[in-house]
Amino acid sequence: MFSAILYKEWIKSRWYLLVSALVLTAFAGYAMLKLHRALSMMGAAHIWEVMITRNAVFVDQMQYVPLIVGVLFAVVQFVPEMQRKCIKLTLHLPMSVYGTLGSMLGYGLVVLYGIFGVNLLMVYLLSFQVLAPELVGNILGTLLPWYSAGIAAYLLGAWVILEPTWKLRIAEILMSVLLLKVWFMGSVPCAFGGFLHVMLLFTLCSASLAWLSVFRFVAGRQD
Amino acid sequence: MTRFAKLFFGFVVALLLLWQVPWAINYLWVKPIDTPFTLYSEQLNDFVMIQRTDDGPTYYDRKGKEYSREEFDALLPLFFARQLVADGRFPEQIAGRTISPREAQVGNFVFRSMPKEINKPTLGLYFMMETLSGRVDLEMPDDAFRLTDRGIEFIDMETNSVKEDKSARFSDMLLKKGARFPIRTIAGNPTSRKEYDEGYVLLDADGRLFHVKMVRERPYVRAVTLPEGVALEHLFITEFRSRRTLALMTDREHHLYALAMPGYEIKRVEGVEFDPTNDDMSILGTLFNWTVCVTDEDAEHYYAINADDFSLLDSMSFPLDQSHVPGLSFTSSNDEFVRLRIQ
Repeated sequence: MFSAILYKEWIKSRWYLLVSALVLTAFAGYAMLKLHRALSMMGAAHIWEVMITRNAVFVDQMQYVPLIVGVLFAVVQFVPEMQRKCIKLTLHLPMSVYGTLGSMLGYGLVVLYGIFGVNLLMVYLLSFQVLAPELVGNILGTLLPWYSAGIAAYLLGAWVILEPTWKLRIAEILMSVLLLKVWFMGSVPCAFGGFLHVMLLFTLCSASLAWLSVFRFVAGRQD
Repeated sequence: MTRFAKLFFGFVVALLLLWQVPWAINYLWVKPIDTPFTLYSEQLNDFVMIQRTDDGPTYYDRKGKEYSREEFDALLPLFFARQLVADGRFPEQIAGRTISPREAQVGNFVFRSMPKEINKPTLGLYFMMETLSGRVDLEMPDDAFRLTDRGIEFIDMETNSVKEDKSARFSDMLLKKGARFPIRTIAGNPTSRKEYDEGYVLLDADGRLFHVKMVRERPYVRAVTLPEGVALEHLFITEFRSRRTLALMTDREHHLYALAMPGYEIKRVEGVEFDPTNDDMSILGTLFNWTVCVTDEDAEHYYAINADDFSLLDSMSFPLDQSHVPGLSFTSSNDEFVRLRIQ
């Protein structure tokens, strides 16, 4: 049954995943292309100087891309379930409700971590030869909160979409926006420091919020 | 699972309320306190102030006597030297000393330190500029350096590779002068937009002070003897036009020191208490005196310091009523980190 649920999720999301992987690759590729172009046109000394003295990281245009990818992934995965009431059938499969929801969210998390991980690896591989490890660390330290925001956006999106009533859904949207804002509060690279671990733990705990929505759905709450 | 989810939901609601409600109240109702711009007048031997009001600025001294703008300029002939020269009113003598407008202008400086500049993630890469390049303007180098457990490591930026020879030269010179690695604190101002470069001041693993710079591609290292019992913590390179100081420093007791030049003499700036990680500090310096302003949570403290021997001439404070509704926050005006804190 577990593999059947994974297969169902895969069928639902495969084209979206392909498109989002391509978009993320395009953005990361463009950022790295811009970096290499700047290095060849203005010289490494100038680029290192702006990176060291002015915290330039050359990946600013990627700021909200993981967030959008995460939100849209939740939409692609859970809106069809709610719109066509498929979730009713899904929750009646011969598997516990925990197991069903856990499998769906687990699939989403693994896939997102995979896509984001490959994307970060790509940035690392395209920058480490021309930049000092400290500067590469600055780029990755800037990107990590943004990608983590993508994960949080996916889980909070699932919470909002699975909520059966609009009244609470609107409150949940407001709460989610405020929570996601935290990921974008850093004004310098690596601003989260050790607090990034706390935020990641918080993000994983927020998976439990989707369970609350499903619990209310099963209890028959509706507009 | 349901219980955990409900608890977590309650935690999120509480977190958001404790974060957003106090923020909204403080944003809407708490007004910042407007303290007067204060300087020490070498003519009055007392503090004078400019207070901005709805009717325009008012100029007055500590006793409350008001002045016109022109009269106020004349009370601070060193600070307003350019204005007085333009008006043809620059005095021939100031406090009994004959000072030329050029001397007055060279003696002026502004120094500012904010906690946000100290409490931030450090990259660990620095630039060592050539101090005697033979060119009029300073130039940025083609390498950067990092501090390691075994010394200083220069990296060629074009090839992203370590310059072994240069690294060894600087590390060996530091070792020869008695430094022990790793370097604990380093301070410099690597920019080509200044008149001259003095490299870096640093504290080694044992807290000893050194001055390092590059002179014609060779390392210049000078060990500076610290006064008995002084344990320095924060360093700031000054590079003021007058060249009378090389650095400002604070120790663990938050005393302020100046590294006076020439001679590398460490002098206590009398009376000033300054914790760089929590307090703002600005110094408006002239040839005769420094007006040091240290802003902490409770007050704006002003100190008038004799620029020759760093003795305390006078001091005064403006209390700050920083009352606000406490709440949770993720950022602070005192640092560049994102983390949950109560403020």
